[in-house]
Amino acid sequence: MKNLIFSLHRFSPTKKVVLKTITFLSMVSMALVVGSGCGTGGTTRLQPAEINEYQGEKLSSINDFRENSIRGPQHVDLGTYKLKITGLVDNPAEYTYDDVINNHQSYEKVVKLDCVEGWSVVILWQGVLLKDLLAEAKVKPEAKVAIFKAWDGYTTSLPLDFIISNNILIAYKMNGVTLPPERGFPFELVAESKWGYKWEKWVTQIELSDDVNYQGYWEQRGYSNSADINGDFLEK
Amino acid sequence: MRNILKEKPAKQVVHWSLLAVLVLYVLTGFGITAYRTVELVTFGLLGKALAFKIHDDLIIPFVVLMGLHIYQQTKQTAKE
Repeated sequence: MKNLIFSLHRFSPTKKVVLKTITFLSMVSMALVVGSGCGTGGTTRLQPAEINEYQGEKLSSINDFRENSIRGPQHVDLGTYKLKITGLVDNPAEYTYDDVINNHQSYEKVVKLDCVEGWSVVILWQGVLLKDLLAEAKVKPEAKVAIFKAWDGYTTSLPLDFIISNNILIAYKMNGVTLPPERGFPFELVAESKWGYKWEKWVTQIELSDDVNYQGYWEQRGYSNSADINGDFLEK
Repeated sequence: MRNILKEKPAKQVVHWSLLAVLVLYVLTGFGITAYRTVELVTFGLLGKALAFKIHDDLIIPFVVLMGLHIYQQTKQTAKE
């Protein structure tokens, strides 16, 4: 104890050192305050936590999915991203991410995704109706099928009648939060009542076609083209 | 009375068949859940759709062979 008191007594910093120390600490504190987003004048909006129940229905978590995409999670660059609507349309369209989510009516729907691997998830999806986008593109009468192309090269298709009559969504939020990259950001197709391989992630292009026999990635490899959840997903 | 199923050649056939089915069952299981790796390792021979088909079709042979295997290992307690 005596030694401690002695050593403290011996430490007598000069005014200059004290001033330098105070200046340094003040600068560090200011940097921390600015860095934390306080004192900048604006408000940084944080992503809300995902909801786990909707109108009394228990929802699965975003993390309940298994990663089974053909090339792993994709990180889409919104700077260059465009959602294109092409093929048998009178008015081919190109939308930015903001165009889609800000200029179209948004819808919410709880839909169950059943994967052929045996797992399933119940998620609250939020997005726009595909038929709204297709109406803007003015689909030609001979178009029968919508072919979906993804950022990673994945493809699949759905009949046009099915899309319109079932109010199929192209989702940008799940359980109240923006789709994370591994779940298909910016857009995932919500192909309700179809097996999971029809739920294309990272959608970049919707091509209208009259080829009713078009086969997507898994369909070419033996999966059913209709992909009805009540039927077998493997072609006999 | 002679029980052909409990004789050595029959036991060997069942044992080796069961082993082959088990190995194939596990491999095709991975062919579904880790299809990217399995497709690469098998040089594209075992794709996910094929793995599904084989995996589904193996269930009956597996149950039959397992039943035979258990039966062959039981002791004959009944007096002949």
